[in-house]
Amino acid sequence: MIFKLVEKFALGKYGKWFGLLSRLTLGGVLLAAGWLKIFTPAKSQMAVRAYEVLPISLANFLGIFLPWFEVGLGILLILGIAVRLSAFLGGALMVVFIAAISQAWARGLSIDCGCFGGGGTVAPGETKYLSEILRDAGLALLALYLFRYPLTRFAAEKITKSKEIQ
Amino acid sequence: MATSSSGGDKFTRNLVIGMVALVVVVGASFSYFGSKGSTTAAIPSSVSKADGYGIVFNADVPNVPTVDVYEDFQCPVCARFEAINGITLEKAIQEKKAKVVYHVLSFLGTESILAANAAACASDEDKFLAFHKAFYANQPAENAGAINATFLKSIGAAVGIDSAKFAACVDNGGYSEWVRNVAEAGAKANVNSTPTVKVNGKELDRNTEYFNVEAFAKAIAG
Repeated sequence: MIFKLVEKFALGKYGKWFGLLSRLTLGGVLLAAGWLKIFTPAKSQMAVRAYEVLPISLANFLGIFLPWFEVGLGILLILGIAVRLSAFLGGALMVVFIAAISQAWARGLSIDCGCFGGGGTVAPGETKYLSEILRDAGLALLALYLFRYPLTRFAAEKITKSKEIQ
Repeated sequence: MATSSSGGDKFTRNLVIGMVALVVVVGASFSYFGSKGSTTAAIPSSVSKADGYGIVFNADVPNVPTVDVYEDFQCPVCARFEAINGITLEKAIQEKKAKVVYHVLSFLGTESILAANAAACASDEDKFLAFHKAFYANQPAENAGAINATFLKSIGAAVGIDSAKFAACVDNGGYSEWVRNVAEAGAKANVNSTPTVKVNGKELDRNTEYFNVEAFAKAIAG
């Protein structure tokens, strides 16, 4: 059973090291993604609007808020503070991104995901939906791992007891 | 949170979480208010608030289609668009066949704001179209530091603007608040790409009508 294997790995010798790697990967990607967008809010708003899901005013709000939120989560994950909560929020964000990209793909929109800056409508044929979804799915799995096993190497927060980890 | 920390760490932990949350809220607020337009912004000539603060040509010609052109001076595809369709648009303006509204967006960064401001200064000299054309013909690389006051004044000089007023306008960035108004109006109009062209409010077909001289001319004929 795959869960048994993951459990065995997570509680084994390399589990906490993998946790550290997951924290730095997920946190690093979130931090970079946010950082690349916070200085061009108009472009970020455009990227959110291009998904054509939310009302324009809400999309414009998210376009401004989301990059800063990503930066915040990224910092917490890299420092290793409130890892469980940050991993949960980061993972939830990835699930939302996957849903948003999938619906754009299914509806035949031609947009760039705008994940690392950029975004908005692109020429048909220039879309990269599959690779964007796979990347976010991989990050979501790392988030899930951290949510389940938040005890990692070199975390600023020293967790002394946990319901999850005996 | 199912995890808990030892006593001394708990305060530090909450402090860090609080500080990060504060950075997020303050940062987002700065971005929000920084991108908000201003009702008291100085507005260049031939700009109409009702047309999304765009620079308007043939505002009073009756019974012609309205063509809204959304561009960012730094967008390379906009330069290509101008090279292909610029003449068609200029002709439509000269022959009074269309009301044309130029929306100079600035989502690509600060140098876009400088360029949009200078274009507004050129509009005050009745040279917007010439400036626009000359800029795109000499469009520098994106955010490389090349678009500065000296460059923008040289573009102005190339199209015959030699007034001190123009130079001061470019130097002072007097229309940069208006540039934000244009950006805000573009965001509200759901413009998600540049160039975007709307004829009577309806966007052209990105597959067929943007980069083909005949198809574009037909599309803007309404």
